[in-house]
Amino acid sequence: MTYLKRLPKFEYVSPQSLPEVCGLIAGTSNDEVMLLAGGTDAILQMRRRERVPRRVIGLKGVADLGLVREQADGSLAIGAMTTLQTLLSAPVVIRRYDLLRETAAQIGGYELRNVATVGGNIAGALPCADLPPALMTLGARVRLSSRRGDRWVPLEEFFPEFGRTVAENDELVAEINLPRPAPNSAGTYLKFHDRHSMDMTVVGVSAFVVRDDESRTFRDVRLAYASGAPTVFRAKRAEAVLRGQALTEEGLEAAAETACAESNPRTSWRANGAYRLELIRALTKRAIRRAWEKASSQTETKP
Amino acid sequence: MNDLMPVSLQVNGIRYDVAIQPWRTLLEVLRETLTMTGTKRSCGEGQCGACTVLLDGKAVSSCMYLAVEAQGKEILTIEGPVGGDPALEQIQRSFAAKGAIQCGFCTPGMVMITKDLLSHTPEPDEDEIRDALVGHVCRCTGYVQIVEAIQDAANGMQAAARGMQDAASAMQDAAGATQDAAREMARKGGA
Repeated sequence: MTYLKRLPKFEYVSPQSLPEVCGLIAGTSNDEVMLLAGGTDAILQMRRRERVPRRVIGLKGVADLGLVREQADGSLAIGAMTTLQTLLSAPVVIRRYDLLRETAAQIGGYELRNVATVGGNIAGALPCADLPPALMTLGARVRLSSRRGDRWVPLEEFFPEFGRTVAENDELVAEINLPRPAPNSAGTYLKFHDRHSMDMTVVGVSAFVVRDDESRTFRDVRLAYASGAPTVFRAKRAEAVLRGQALTEEGLEAAAETACAESNPRTSWRANGAYRLELIRALTKRAIRRAWEKASSQTETKP
Repeated sequence: MNDLMPVSLQVNGIRYDVAIQPWRTLLEVLRETLTMTGTKRSCGEGQCGACTVLLDGKAVSSCMYLAVEAQGKEILTIEGPVGGDPALEQIQRSFAAKGAIQCGFCTPGMVMITKDLLSHTPEPDEDEIRDALVGHVCRCTGYVQIVEAIQDAANGMQAAARGMQDAASAMQDAAGATQDAAREMARKGGA
């Protein structure tokens, strides 16, 4: 284990608005400037001297980044500084995005959820992050802001390689947008980890399904994985195996097999690659089945 | 670089104006600058719960929170507010009564997370209690007693709340009787 030192010296600034943040990061590099959201990853990175920024920009005071609100077009806007606790207790999330509530509730304990943010979980670009798979299967888009303006990037195109995002040095994750889920849809997130809620995810699977109007076949299936490859990713070939099909044991088996073929999990002290593949196989089948059942029970309660 | 930043921290109801370096954590400032050593330092990475304090009533790991970012928030530590806090006292009594304290090192964090839990879930079941404790380790491993202590604290607080309600309705009854008597006297006086 790395001995945890005290934090390195840095200059600290706390902007109050998004334009102010954009001004502060314009023309800087990630080595010299660090954005501090909840800090539950960032502070540890500094303690381990993986990052030694000259200046830390604290984002907790930026009020316009902390909102969860339904948009006129029916989509949901989630400010990057929304804490996991705020997210999972937001009435609209409880009502329409149970997959998201379920995922956030599985991350850490109270202490972590009260400070860790949605934006931090995405911008950290860790393959073991739990929210990105759930958000990806819900069709999330990310708003990147900079002094040059805003741009939207689909979350599934956000992680080009391990530990990296497509954000430029002068951009920050400002908002996540989720389309309104289709009728007869539901999702679930299953993860495997050693110590309940407090350890890194060994494998996480998000499954989101849409059933057809008669509830006989999969109109749509989306699968995304944490710790299944160097980045969080969607298993699109596995999804295609089930789309338009009825739920059968053979279909689940084939989808799980394809998902394994699309994965590339690493070996670490937590688990070796072969073991993670077994987890991907088992959790994929379980997650799809559970999402399917959830979608049908929701159809019954909300005709 | 001017290292020191003036920061005003509201801890247990008292305001402390301090000049601190921005890279110091809330835990370091509580223990070293304000000499409140009830909050414990252990893992330093948010795994153990020994350093839990409440910020505006919500549990956070003070080892992973910059002290400068706690400015403007109500910080509650195990030392408790001047004048006492009935919930904190009930929780501590229950921990002692149920044998939930062995070496005592994890206890401050356990007490603080219990205060957070009971503030929004006054009658938690065992699952809810264990869910609140996921970020806390007790190396004496006395978890069963800790769960029992939290249940006992919840019962004690419910009983205290009922006692207050009973007292309030008794006072209302008494006030009503006094009013009736006064009206009766006024009627007789007018006759």
